[in-house]
Amino acid sequence: MNVMTKNKLGFALVLLFAAANTFAAKPGPAAKKATADPLLPVAGLTVIDMPYDVGGTALLKWDVRPSDTPDVTYQVYVSSLETGGWIKAEEFPADTRTGKDIDLPFWAWDTSIKEHAVKVELNNYYGEAQSTGSPFHFKVTAVKGKNTAESEVVSVVTLSNWFRLDRMNNLVLLLILIIAFFWAVSHAKRKGLFIRRIAGLDAIDEAIGRATEMGKPIYYMTGIGSMSQISTIASAFILGEVSKKVAQYDSQIKVPHYDPIVMTVCKEVVKQSYMEAGRPDSYRDDINFFVSQDQFSYAASVDGMISREKPAACFFMGYFMAESLLLAEVGATSGAIQIAGTDVEHQLPFFFTACDYTLMGEELYAAGAYLSKEPMLMSALKVQDLGKLIVMVSVLFGIIFVGVGAWRHWDPFVQVILNMFKAY
Amino acid sequence: MSETWMIAGAWIAAGLTIFLFSFLYKDNPFFKIAEHLYLGAGMGWWFQVYVYNILGPKVWTPLVVNHDWMVLIPAVLGISLVTQFIPKISWISRYGFTFLMGYGSGLAIPASLSTDFINQIGGTIKPLSMMASMTPFAIFNSLLIAFGVVCVLFYFFFSVEHKGHVKTVSNIGIYFLMIYFGAAFGNTVMARFSLLYGRFDDLYTFSDKHYFYASQLIMLAMVVYFLVHNFMGKDKKEVTEDEAAG
Repeated sequence: MNVMTKNKLGFALVLLFAAANTFAAKPGPAAKKATADPLLPVAGLTVIDMPYDVGGTALLKWDVRPSDTPDVTYQVYVSSLETGGWIKAEEFPADTRTGKDIDLPFWAWDTSIKEHAVKVELNNYYGEAQSTGSPFHFKVTAVKGKNTAESEVVSVVTLSNWFRLDRMNNLVLLLILIIAFFWAVSHAKRKGLFIRRIAGLDAIDEAIGRATEMGKPIYYMTGIGSMSQISTIASAFILGEVSKKVAQYDSQIKVPHYDPIVMTVCKEVVKQSYMEAGRPDSYRDDINFFVSQDQFSYAASVDGMISREKPAACFFMGYFMAESLLLAEVGATSGAIQIAGTDVEHQLPFFFTACDYTLMGEELYAAGAYLSKEPMLMSALKVQDLGKLIVMVSVLFGIIFVGVGAWRHWDPFVQVILNMFKAY
Repeated sequence: MSETWMIAGAWIAAGLTIFLFSFLYKDNPFFKIAEHLYLGAGMGWWFQVYVYNILGPKVWTPLVVNHDWMVLIPAVLGISLVTQFIPKISWISRYGFTFLMGYGSGLAIPASLSTDFINQIGGTIKPLSMMASMTPFAIFNSLLIAFGVVCVLFYFFFSVEHKGHVKTVSNIGIYFLMIYFGAAFGNTVMARFSLLYGRFDDLYTFSDKHYFYASQLIMLAMVVYFLVHNFMGKDKKEVTEDEAAG
C-alpha cells in the first residue's frame, strides 16, 4: 500500500515536471512579448465619423497587437483644440473592445476581432451643438505599470448621416408589407377577402335596437387619443358604421370628445354616415361636442352626463387610460348595454369587468373592416395578418436556429439570426 | 395671512374630495359643483399651459424677438385647423389635417414596425442565444414565452375561421391573455388604491382641530342635506301620487 502511494506520488511529480517544461518551452505569444518587448505606441490609429448615426460620435480603430494583455491599458484622449486641452474619454484593458463590441448588424459592420474599435460620444464632453460639424483630435495612450506610450494625433469631423444601413431589416420588412398591401387591395376589389366573425360586433345592432326601443340616446366615446393614433382612427371608422345604423333606426347618438381634432374628423364621419343612410335631415351639428382636454375633467363630466341621461348603450372605442373604469363603471351602474374596444392592454381588464362585450387590441382595428367591408380596410387587415404570420414563423424558426446554434456554440451563426431581428 | 390661506385651502380640498366621493351615493348638487369646477379648472389650466409653454416660447418669441420666419410654416398650418369654424374657408383646414396625418403616419409606421414586429421576434428568441449556460427551468421559461406568443397571435388571426386545431391553439392563447390581464388588473388596482389612500390621508389631516375639523363638518353638512332632501323628496312624491290618484 505504502509502495503504491509512493509510486503514485512519483508519477504525479513526473507529470507536473513535464507540464512545467512544456509551458516553459512554449510560452503564449502575448506573455512572451509582454516580458520581452518594451511598451510600443499604438501604430496605424485611424478615426472616422461613426457611420449611420445622428452625428456627434467618432469611431477610433487600430490593430490588435500580440502585446494586448490584460495588464496593459489603453486610454483614449479627445480634444477640440489642435494643441493641448486633452480630456480622457475612455480607458479599458488592452484585451477588450474589438470590432465585435460595436452594436451594428453584420451587413453594416465588419465584426472583426483583429481590430480595436472604440466609440467616443462627443456629446458627453462638448455638448450637442459643438459635437457635430467641428473638428476633433484624438490620441491613444498605452499604459503598462509606470510606462506609457502615446500614439500620433488623428482628427475627424463628425456628421449626421442620411441613411441608416443598420436598419435595413426594417426597410425590407416594410417593403414586403407594402407590396403585400397593394396585392391585397387589388385582390379585395376583384374577389373580396374573408374575415372571421368577431363576436363583440354582432352586439352593435342589439345595442342600437335597444336604444331605439327605449327612446334613449347612445353614448359613443372615442377615448383620449389623438387623431394620429391607430386606435382612434379605428374608432372613427366604427363610429361611421354605428352612426349609419343610428340614422337608419332614427335613434339618437351623442359623441363627447376629449380632442378637438378628433372631434372635427368625427363630425365629418357622422355627417357622411347620415348622408349615406339617406337621413341628412336627422343630422345635427351637436352630435359631436367638445368636453375637455383634461383627462379626469373629461371623465367626471361624461360620468355626470351618463348618470343623468341614463343612455341605453355606451360605446368605448379607442385609446383609453385611467378614465376607462371611471366611465365604464358609471355606464354599467346606469344599466346601459356597453361595448368597449381598446388596444391599451392594461386597461382591457377594466373593460372586461364593466362592459358586456370587449374588443381586444387588434379586434378593434379589425372591427372597422368587418363592419364596412371596405376593400382598403380589408386589405390592411390582411396585411396585419401577414405580419402576424411572419412573426409566428420567425419565432418558430428563430428559436430552433438560435437554440441549436447556441447549444453547438456556433456564435457567428447565432449573431446573424439575432441581427436579422434586431430593432433599433 | 398664509395660515388663513392654508386653512381655506384645506376646506376647499376636503370639500371637493367629499363632493366627488358623494357620487358613490347618488348624483347630487355637490357633485355637480365639483364636476363643473373641475371641468372649468382643467380647461383653464390647459389654456395657460398652451399660452405659456407653446404659444409664447415656440411661436411668439421666435417670430417677434428672434425673427425666425421659418416658424411661420408650422404656425400657419396650426392656424389653418381653426378655419373649420368658418364654413366658407374651411377647406384650408385640410392642409393642416393632411400634414398632421402624414406626419403622424410617418412617425408611427417605422416605430410600430420596429417595436411590434422585429423587436417582438428578437425579444422572444434572444434568451435562447444563451442556451449553453441556461438552466433547464430558464430554457422551459423561454420556450413557454415563445409558445405563448404564437398562441396569442393565433387568436388575433382573422384570415381563417377558428375551428378544430386552430381553435384549440387560439383558446390556449386566450388563457395566456387572461393570465396577463389578471396580473395587469391587480397591478393597476394596487396603484388606484394608493391614490385612494392619498385622498383619505388628506381627509384625515384636514380633520384636525388645526383646520377646524374641515372633513367632519363638511361630511356632517352633506349628511344633513341628504336627510332633509330625502324627507322633502318623499313628501313631494307622496303629494304627486295623491294628486295622480285624485
